[in-house]
Formats: sequence, C-alpha cells, structure tokens
Amino acid sequence: MADKNTVSITINGVTHDVTPGQRLITAAEKVGEYIPRFCHHDKLEPVGKCRVCLVEVEGPRGTALMTSCTLPVSDGMVVHTTSEVVKKAQAGVLEFLLLNHPLDCPVCDKGGECPLQDQALAFGSGESRFIEEKRTYIKPMPVSDLVLLDRERCVLCDRCVRVADDIAGDPLIEFIDRGSHVQINTFPNEPFSSYFSGNTVQACPVGALTSVDYRFKARPWDLESVGSVSLVDSVHSTVDVHTSRGKILRVYGADNAAVNDGWLSDKDRFIFSAFQSSDRVTTPLIRDGEDFRSASWSEAIDLVASRLGSYVGNEVGAIGGANGTNEEAFALSKFMRVVMGSPHVDAQVGDGIDPHLAACVNPRATINDLDAAGTILVWGPDLKETLPVLYLRVRRAVLNGAALVVVSPFVTGLDSIATHVVRYRAGSGPEILRKLAHRDDAYQAVTQSLSNGPVVALVGRGSITENPDLAVAVAAFARALPDATLMPLLTRANIFGALDMGLAPTLLPGRASVGDKTSVSALEDAWGPLPDDSGKDAMAMLEALVDSDLRAVMLVGTDPIRDCPDPELAERALDAAEFILALDAYVTDSTSKADVILPVAVWGEVDGTATNLEGRVQRLHRSVQPLGRSMALSAALDSIALTMGSDLGASDWQLINKEISETAPAYAGMTADFLTFEVAEEGAIVPLPGASQPLGYIPVDMHVPVVTDRFTLHFAPSLYDAGILMSHSPVLRGLVATASVRLHPKDAAALTVTDGTSVSIGGHKLPVTLDGDVPERSVVLPHNHEATKAIAATQAVRVETQRGDA
Amino acid sequence: MSAVIAGWSQDNRERARLILASYPEKRSAVMPLLYIASLEHEYVTEDAMREVAELTEISAVQVRSVASFYTMFKSNAVGDYLVSVCASISCHLLGADEVLAAVEKASGASAGETTEDGSISVERVECIGACGGAPAVQVNYELIEGVTPEKAKGLVKWLTDARPAVVLTDEMQQLFGGQRSFDWGSSEPEGATRPLPAFGPYGSAEVGR
Amino acid sequence: MTEMILTQRMTAHPSDSHTLSRYLDTGGYTALTKALDNMSEEEIVEEVKASNMRGRGGAGFPTGVKWGFLAPAQPRYLVVNCDESEPGTFNDRQLTERDPHQLLEGIIISSYALGVSHAFVYIRGEYPKAARRLQRAVDEAYEAGYLGEHIRGSEFSLDVTLHLGGGAYICGEETALLNSLEGKRGEPRLKPPFPAVEGLYAKPTIVNNVESISNIPWITANGGAAYASIGPERSAGTKMLSMSGHIRKPGNYEIVMGMTWRELIYEIGGGITDGKALKAWIPGGASSPWFVPDEHLDTLLTIDDVASNGSMVGAGAVIVMDETTNVVAAAHRLVRFFAHESCGQCTPCREGTSWMEAVLKRILDGNGRPEDIDLLLDISDNISPGLKWPPAMTTICPLGPSAVSPITSITRWFMPELEAIIAGSEVAVG
Ligand SMILES: Cc1cc2nc3c(=O)[nH]c(=O)nc-3n(C[C@H](O)[C@H](O)[C@H](O)COP(=O)(O)O)c2cc1C
Ligand code: SF4
Ligand code: FES
Repeated sequence: MADKNTVSITINGVTHDVTPGQRLITAAEKVGEYIPRFCHHDKLEPVGKCRVCLVEVEGPRGTALMTSCTLPVSDGMVVHTTSEVVKKAQAGVLEFLLLNHPLDCPVCDKGGECPLQDQALAFGSGESRFIEEKRTYIKPMPVSDLVLLDRERCVLCDRCVRVADDIAGDPLIEFIDRGSHVQINTFPNEPFSSYFSGNTVQACPVGALTSVDYRFKARPWDLESVGSVSLVDSVHSTVDVHTSRGKILRVYGADNAAVNDGWLSDKDRFIFSAFQSSDRVTTPLIRDGEDFRSASWSEAIDLVASRLGSYVGNEVGAIGGANGTNEEAFALSKFMRVVMGSPHVDAQVGDGIDPHLAACVNPRATINDLDAAGTILVWGPDLKETLPVLYLRVRRAVLNGAALVVVSPFVTGLDSIATHVVRYRAGSGPEILRKLAHRDDAYQAVTQSLSNGPVVALVGRGSITENPDLAVAVAAFARALPDATLMPLLTRANIFGALDMGLAPTLLPGRASVGDKTSVSALEDAWGPLPDDSGKDAMAMLEALVDSDLRAVMLVGTDPIRDCPDPELAERALDAAEFILALDAYVTDSTSKADVILPVAVWGEVDGTATNLEGRVQRLHRSVQPLGRSMALSAALDSIALTMGSDLGASDWQLINKEISETAPAYAGMTADFLTFEVAEEGAIVPLPGASQPLGYIPVDMHVPVVTDRFTLHFAPSLYDAGILMSHSPVLRGLVATASVRLHPKDAAALTVTDGTSVSIGGHKLPVTLDGDVPERSVVLPHNHEATKAIAATQAVRVETQRGDA
Repeated sequence: MSAVIAGWSQDNRERARLILASYPEKRSAVMPLLYIASLEHEYVTEDAMREVAELTEISAVQVRSVASFYTMFKSNAVGDYLVSVCASISCHLLGADEVLAAVEKASGASAGETTEDGSISVERVECIGACGGAPAVQVNYELIEGVTPEKAKGLVKWLTDARPAVVLTDEMQQLFGGQRSFDWGSSEPEGATRPLPAFGPYGSAEVGR
Repeated sequence: MTEMILTQRMTAHPSDSHTLSRYLDTGGYTALTKALDNMSEEEIVEEVKASNMRGRGGAGFPTGVKWGFLAPAQPRYLVVNCDESEPGTFNDRQLTERDPHQLLEGIIISSYALGVSHAFVYIRGEYPKAARRLQRAVDEAYEAGYLGEHIRGSEFSLDVTLHLGGGAYICGEETALLNSLEGKRGEPRLKPPFPAVEGLYAKPTIVNNVESISNIPWITANGGAAYASIGPERSAGTKMLSMSGHIRKPGNYEIVMGMTWRELIYEIGGGITDGKALKAWIPGGASSPWFVPDEHLDTLLTIDDVASNGSMVGAGAVIVMDETTNVVAAAHRLVRFFAHESCGQCTPCREGTSWMEAVLKRILDGNGRPEDIDLLLDISDNISPGLKWPPAMTTICPLGPSAVSPITSITRWFMPELEAIIAGSEVAVG
C-alpha cells in the first residue's frame, strides 16, 4: 500500500491513495467520483437503507453490488461506480423512490435544491412505468410548532430519526407501520418539540420536512448564501445565512467540526425573525415629554455630543456592549476610556462572573477537548437551556465514553446521561464545594470520577441567584484536577469578545488587567496614558447613579431592569440618571427611560469578528443592509466622538480590526484577513500566555447563608425565555412556557398548597407546580420571564400562601 | 414498581416485574409488555403504549414504532373472538378464499371488520404454519386445521351462540376441523380468553373445561 | 425412512411425548448428563463439526462451523429461532409441540458447549400452543434441576427465556430476530458484523433453528460420525420436510436426503390428490424457485443438487400444485405474502414487492397488458440483478429477492399461460 496512513483503492480503473477508516462513498467523492445517496449523511451513522449508492466491488467470488455508504475502504479495493450493472441498479432504486412520490415539485420548498430531483436527472431513467395508484397522506401535517411533515414526499432515509435520536437525544419522531405503509410520525399529542428540530429540516434530502417560517418564501435559485456565525449565544455556531432581495430568509448550520459540527439549536436557526420585527427602532429617537420623537442622526448626534461633553469623564458610565462584534466592543471601550476618559464600563449586568475568570482562565478548554476528556465536570448553568449546541457536544463526548459529573441545584438537561449528579439546595453550593475539595466520604464516587483525567471543567454561575464568587472557587478547585482544562461559561452573545475588548472595569483590550503597565504599553502608545485603578462594575454604576456619584449612563444593547439581579435598584438608578443614552435596536423597560435612543445595526447587518467561549475568534459577515436608518454601533460612536472633537478611528470596522490586532496584546495578528483566508471555517483561538496566570483564589469555605425560616431561590434559565429577541421573534415567541413556582411536595404540604394553587413570592403571585426534583426548602422560578421579571434575584425568599383563592 | 401501572391487576403487575427481570435490558420487554397491556386495555391503546414506554424507559413514539411493526398488536378494538383465516399459498390452493367468504357471510363482517355486536372480528392473515392441514383458521390464535366453508359457517355460529369463555384448540378442531398437519398427540388444557396468544407468563392463558 | 432421530419419540408415544416423564423413560437428558460428566465444551463443538449437520433454518450453513466463529467476549447468547413463518413450513411447530424436551436438551447442551448462561427461544406469536408446551417443559426442567444454577451439580448454570413474536415473518431473519428480541422493529441489520461477533445486545450470539438444535442431543449421544454417516455426505443426517398443497398425504416427514423428488412426491407423499397430474412444486418454501415435472422429478433431493438446479431445500417446505392450478394466482399469493412481510427499510423491497403485487393483481383482474411481463421481469431484475441463482441483491436481506422467485418461475415455465391470462382468452389452465 501507498504508506501506512493511506490505502489505495481503484475506482473505475484509476487508483487513488485515500485515508483509511472512511466509507467508500466519501472517499470516492473526495477523488471526484460522486455516488448518489439519500440516507447517507456525513455526520450520521450509516444505515444503508435507501440502496441508491450501490456500486460494484470486486471480490474473490466475482463482483458484487454493495452500498458504498456502509463499506469502509480497504487496501486494494477495486470498485466500479459507472458499470452498466451499477447504472441499472441505481436507476432502478430511483424509479422505486419516485413511484409514490407526488408531482408537486413546482410548489415544493425543496424544488431546485432537491437531491431527489437532481439525482433522478443524473442517474435516473426518465419516464415512470408505474400506472397503479399512489400512496396518499394528509399533507402537510405539523409535527411541532416549527416543523411540518409531508409524508408523500418522504423517502424514508432515516436521517431525521437519527438526528432526533442519536444527535439530539430526543426520540420523538419514528418510523410507524411496516412495508409499503412505513411512514415517519410522532406519538399522538406528543409533538416533535426538540430544541434541535430544525436540523431535521436541513438534513431532509427531500421536501418532506419543512420549517413553518420558510414555507413558500423563496425558490432556491434566487437565494444568496453568506457564511457567518450565530450570535444567539457564546458558542458562536458557524452558519450559512441565506438571503433573497436583501432579506434574510433562512439560516443553515455550516460544517465547523471545531464548534457546532453542522448542527444548530432552533434558536440559532429561527431567531433572525426578531431582527425583522416591525418593533425595531429604525430612526434616532429623542425624548419628548413622556414620549419620543424621531429625529435625524445629525440632530441626535449633536444633542448627545453636547450632553456627554458636559460631564467630567468618570461621571459617565457605560453598561452593555456584549451583543455586537469585537470591533464594536473595542470602539465602545475606546470611546469610554479615551474620548470620555471614564473607567466605568461593564458588559455584564451583575448577572455574570469575575471577568478575569471569563477572559484570562488558563489552561482554557476548547470544545474539541470534550471528545478527549476522561471526565467532564459541569458546574454552571443548564447547558441544554443556555448553550444548547455545547450540550450536544458534551452529550456526544459522554456517549463516546467520557464520564460526566453534573453539580446543580436543579435538574439539568444533562442529568439523564450523567455518571454522577450532585444536587444541592440553592445557596449551599460553597458547602458542597468544600466537601468535594476535602474528599468528603459522602462524595467518594464523584471524587473518584474527577480523579480520572483529562478533566474538562465547564464552570459558570448556575443561576443569577448563585453567589458569583462560587464560580471562581469552583474554577480554582477544578484547576487542581488531573490534566484539567477549564471552560468559563457565560452565555450572552459576544460577551467573551466584549470582555477581551476591555468592556469590564478591571480589564483593558487584549486581556490586559487594568494597572498592569507592562502588557498595555502598545495600547498606551495608541491611546495615551491609562488610569491605574479599575472602574465601577454595572451594579456599582447603578448604585452610583442613585447616589448621583454617576450622572449619565450609556445603555448599549442592554436592559438592566430586566437583566440585573435587582430590577428595583435598576429602575431607581435609571430614574435618577441625569442623562441616558441608549444605543439599541428595541425600546425596552430600560431604554424607554432614555433621553436619546440611537438605532444600532444588529446581527446580519454588520461585518466584523467575534470571540466565543473557547476564545475562538471567527469572522462575521454582513448579509443584509441595516434596517431603516440604523447604524453600526462603532460608526455611531465614531460620529459622536468627531462631534466632540476627537477621532475614534472607528468609521470603518476594518480600521478597528487593524487597531485591535496592533494594540490588544492577546489579539496580535488576529486580523480580518488572517481569519478570512488563513483559518477560514474553524476560526482561530486567541493564544494563551505561556505561564498560566493565577486565579484570584477564593477560599472554598465561603460563608454559607444560614436560612431557616425562608426558602432559597433558584432562578432556572430556559432557552425559550422572555428575552428581548425571543419576545420580538414571531416564530419563537409562542414557545415560551407559562411560569410557575416549583416546590418540593413536602414543602408544598407544609404550606398546604397543591398543584395549580398559587403562592406569592416577594409579593408576586404565581401558580405552584409540585416537583420532587426541587431540593427541600428551595423554590425554582423560570428566569427572564414576564411573570417573574420583577422578582429580585436574592438568595432567600419568603413564600406566602394565598388564602382564599386556589 | 412504576406507578404508571398502578391501575393494572396485582397479577399483571407481578408478571410485568418478572418479565422485566428476565431480560438483560429493559427494552427487550416491550413486546411481552404490550401483550399484557392489551389484556389491561383490551388492545394497544395510547395509554397502553405510554405505560410500556415508562416501564422500558424508552419514548412513547418508540413503543408505537415497535407496536405498529407487528400485526398482532392491535391498534383498534377487536371483537371477543378474532377469527383469522389464512390465505397464503397452501391454504389458497385448497380453498382458503371460499373459507374466508364463508366466515364473512356467516358473521356479517368482512375481513378487517368487527360484527355490530362486537363479538367477532374477521381478518385475512398470511401463513400460520398449518399448511399440512390447509385450509386453516385461528380463533384468538388457537388453531383449527382442515376447515371447509361448511365447517367455517358452523364455527361462526358456535362462537356466536355458545360464546365459549375459553377457546380451546382441541375442542374446536374436533368440532370444526379436518385434516391436520400432524398428529397433535394428547389434548391441550389451556386456551385463550381474549384475542391474544394464550401464554401463561403473559397472563393470557386459561385452563378450559 | 429407517432412520428416525427427531420424530422417534412422538411417533412411538403420541399421547405424552411432550412430558418430562416420558422424555426421561425414553432416554431423555442422558446426552446432557454425558456432556456434563465426561465431555469438554470443545469436544461437543468438535462432534457437531464432525456431524456435518447443516443449519435447518434455510441458509444451510454448517452448524459446527458457525459455532467455531463465536467470538470470545462474554456474556454470549444462544438464540433459538422458532419464528417458522415461511409459507409451507410447519415442522418446527411439530418438533416444539410434540417433543419440547428434546429441543430443550439441545439448548442446554449447546449452551454448555458455547459457554452461554442465558438462552432465548423466539417463538412466533401465532404458535401459542408450541410456546405453552415449551414453557411447561422449561418449568419442569427447572424443577428437575436441568436448568438454573449448577445444573446436575456441575459448574454450569443456564436460564432459558421464551419470547413470543408479534406477527412478522421477517423476524425469522436472524438479525431482524435479534432486533425484535431487543424490543425494536424487526428490521434486519447490515452484515457484517455477524451475530457470532456482534449479536444480541452487541454480544457474541449464536442463532440456530429449532430443528438444528433438536438434533444436538442425538449427535452428543451417538457422536458426530454416526450422524455424518446418515445420508449423502454434504446433506448429512435426517431432514424434516413439510409437504402441503395438492398432495395426498400432506404432513411432516423426517427423511434421509438423497432420494429423488419422484420418490418423495409419489411414494412418501402418496401422489397428487384425486390422481390429478402434477403441474409444479415449490421445493423449499415460498422463497424458492419452482420445480416442474418434466425437468426435476428425477433430480436428487440433496441440498447441493437442488441448488445446482436453481432452487433450494431451504427450510424444507414442499408445496405441490396440480394441473388445475392457476399459476398466476399462485404467484400472486406468494408475492403478496412478501409484500405484506417486507420490513420496509430498504427501497427496492419496500416499493418493488408491492409494485409487483399490484401488477399481478391487475393482471388477474383482467387488466393485464402485454408489456406487464417485461415490467415484472425488470422490477424483479432491479431487486435481484441478473435474476441469477443464488440471487444477487440490491436489498439488505434476501426477503426482497425471495419475492422474485414466483415471477421468474411462472415466466420461465408457464409463459403461455401467463400470456393467455393477460390476453384474457379463456385458455383453461393446466
Ligand atoms: C426472510 C428470512 C426468513 C427466515 N425465517 C426463518 C425462520 O422462520 N426460522 C429459521 O430457523 N430461520 C429462518 N431464516 C434463516 C435465519 O436467518 C438463520 O439463518 C437461521 O435461523 C440460522 O439457523 P440454522 O443455522 O440452524 O439454520 C430466515 C431467513 C430469512 C432471510
Ligand atoms: S429486503 Fe425487505 S425485508 Fe429485507 S431489509 Fe430490505 S425491506 Fe426489509
Ligand atoms: S446512501 Fe447508501 S444506502 Fe442510502
């Protein structure tokens, strides 16, 4: 054979050296021999069901027809893919598949990009000899709120079933009946409600599975495709954005083996509808009494410039900036520090973790490290609800043999496949950590598991009600585990990019700590001297606003009243602020209090780069024009700066990108060109400093609040929450579940409440759901939900029963 | 054991427990449990499938997928007596179609249907392994070999009039059968009370008179 | 029929051959005792190899050789295939109903030889009586210490579980059977891996037919050589044949292969019912291509002779058709069976069998077209390319190609009749 890491196979007389282990159908395609297929899918286990990929393989007993999708290449294999026998077999299968196929291609969403159409043309025989009656089904039928099924078009390739079962772990669609009656279906009244259902639509080789939002929207031939990354969460799944006539019509998962491996969450896939919402702010708005009046950019900019100019730098703070690109974040960071001369910037809203842990943790895990892990430790938010694609990757690693330890105050999506689940009463996390750290006998099995490296620890704040210091302590503990690498968990769109760009009171662009002179020299050359002491974080800024230490605030794509742990404080702070500039795309509880709202462009409307939770930088490509008169955040800041008499150098994202790569230490060399041409589809991980930096070590036995007469609260995140984008997405809005208080049956009994009756928490009335999975003496509420948004995220709450009503 | 089958009879709950225990993996118990569940629910209802799903720790649609693959798990109510007439090759050669016609005429239900009074369901089935005694018929899966159209009529009448609580293969063979595939040997004490294969461990076998 | 291995007891003791007491006083379980007391696992496998017994389930693969392929991993399983559903076959039913302990002793000896501690018997759901009889035998065996912990005081322990099917012929295919036993749809698996390497629960598994296993006690007691000495070398031992259709003496016959088909049909089977003329017969169950008097009456009934004449002994189902038979109607019945039993996972079988069924039906309804003959043959060719024997397949398992046999049989032997029926002319069949 050629050499030990290739085998040589002969296809139609030509010999090729190919890598072993792959299936013939793939090897052949790589050397330019395309073999037709339906059931075959690169990311799914072969099933060899459709039989269209038959080829002739020479063997001791003559040549035999074999399915190339199931056949691993072997050295010396001799294959014929175009012989008469093969042609006839393939044409025969195609004829069989078309027998009962409806002739509705003209009205089929797949028409024009349909493997059945294409392959029937290329490998089929033409006319059908079938004069019997065709199978008919009611068409189409909804299998979920997002997906429709047309069983007449289905070729029974088993792709959707494998995606649902093997990839997503949601076996909710299956083959029903037998023989020529086989069909795909769900269980009556148990829809295919999976966070990953859209992947089946993308995987379906015909027009059998279609998504409700795309139906009849376009014909494939007038679609343009632009590669980009999803900013729904901090995983940054790679996507292809399909547009037609300047409008985004569809988002498909792109094959990035390092990140999403082709799969998307339904939120990644369908959220773009929110950006097309008619509620978008599309012109500058200036306060006019109780209301706003729309204004021209120049008027608005002049007003903003003069107001901001009237303050001493550190009288102004900026909250937010985590939704956009790195360039936008950098521009904001520079605007605050250089133009305003204020250190008060924070991309988090008191709902996150220590920015040093998030930005500088070292050694830092990549998503692919999960595949090699001996044990995976998840101590943070429910991955399925907050970072669904990361959940898929953890799930895959576990199915392939990694042990999984989940530590959480409430059930998570991973519990069912976890090796060990450690459940604790909300608030007693530190106590659990202390026990684990001291190898308490009660946790022997877990400790055992954690001693089996390499350990990949996914660490974050399980809930906004969780003590933020706990994550740091957990990280410090996890780092000591064998061959441990850490993945800090924050979920907001480009939060890691924002922190890397210095949108934190203690950080400067390029992961440099405020005050760390040596590492910011390049930055100071460009920006001039920088203050040595750190600024206020978001919560401190809100308090300062109330105390008038801070007089003006910029809200950049953030809604503190909704997002911070203390809505009431946020409300008072914004009421107290002298001047509020909102740079946002929507009017929210918070931005409605602004003096000026400048409409900023959103995902899909801007070019740039973004950094995910691995520290992986990828290119974002603009696919449509900003809606109305919206403008990229950086451009808006640039013109404000100009009007204030300074040059931010942010008129164009490439200028900023260049400045980042020249001034931000860790980002040296991370230029747009490098990302576009050198590392196209995988992006590049920001290099970590050689010496691993110490974590601000917090003693694991932190003070545990002793709560007796009260309940401790766990604010459970859910994928379909009432977040700003969800509530503006006509497609997803309907999926938000109704809120209720989850209580352990014992506590419910003690409170003499039952399922359905209601209790009040902090004066807010909610229905009760009994749930044995809730630890005793704690309550679980859905986070970021209309019904719970006004409830402060304090650790201890009082639960009062509602007398008289039930 | 699982609360989902709290509604099942004590005996059937115990049977379910034994069956689950007799396989290395729970899912293997799906088919046996579907039989027991159809004792409890008369046929494979949605509840029946949900219960089996709970017991075997797979999803309801996975159970439906399995149940719908096999012909003996009925997704609709069946009469007290399921009369299955074999129409495969050997029975066909010896007049199965006439036997089926006779059954349909006598009962008033054609293949795939159930009589008004819900007493008899008629179905046409593929080979039931009685080719040597063709044409063959089963009542609640209890076999009769060497059936003629005449005898088939008698069988239907007998089922409607006598309404046997337990159908016994030997009794029916004696009354309505003829040529057998082989000497059956001594007679069989157990038979079926419902349109389910009569098998002790599945709770469907009863000793007749 | 001098030799009787399998049917001796039931012939001699019709009333109670299925009971333990009768089994014991006719030499039952002595082979097991012999095996446990003075034979090693390997020795038994060697005897089975020496017996040259070829699997009785249809494929005719030498049982000893198959046992030799069993992978070392533990646990491993023995699964006995009592799904007997091939139209024309009913001999496993008789062996199970009439001599369940013989089967059970075979299971116990085989399990001991194969290092198996949990064996399963998959019985088709339409055989409740066979299941009851075997279950009673199993209960008696536990009672008497032939099953359970430390069988007869030895180191060997075994549990046997009976599993009823739900009505699906395809579950007779060994990998479909394993899926069914795992609580899944009875869809055949891709091979390789073969069950001996990755079978039940992906563990090494031997799947054997009821008749094959029922022979094990005799082979153990009398030695493989003795078994091999019966009948032709490559069709050693006795074979259960099920005869049905237009035959005077239908039933199961334990025969020694090597006789001619003429002897079988006219002597053993007593000839054609009502002295009519023989038109054709199916030599090995619904899947096998038909034989016709002019060509095959003097063909030898051995696995190899039948194969070289383009058909198979298969599971041993002989279906006889007399001169009055409408062969197109007969072919339709057979094709309808396969269309009904297709698992539906692979395209050519799912679509092709029901298409052929529809075309034949249309022809029988008087709406045939001349081109339908080529159409039927071409559909067949797209399921079983070249229409060769043994068949090539575009399918995952042999069920699809099985549906082709009736088509090629009528087009090969009865073309004029087929054409006549299509032409609608009142040509009397025969
Ligand atoms: C469609 C199909 C149906 C089959 N049905 C049966 C059956 O009912 N009983 C059986 O023993 N083998 C049946 N077989 C053969 C089995 O796959 C397997 O070869 C056999 O059980 C092995 O046992 P043996 O080696 O003892 O013959 C069938 C095969 C196919 C392809
Ligand atoms: S040939 Fe038929 S029975 Fe066999 S796997 Fe394919 S569809 Fe199923
Ligand atoms: S692609 Fe190979 S069988 Fe479907």
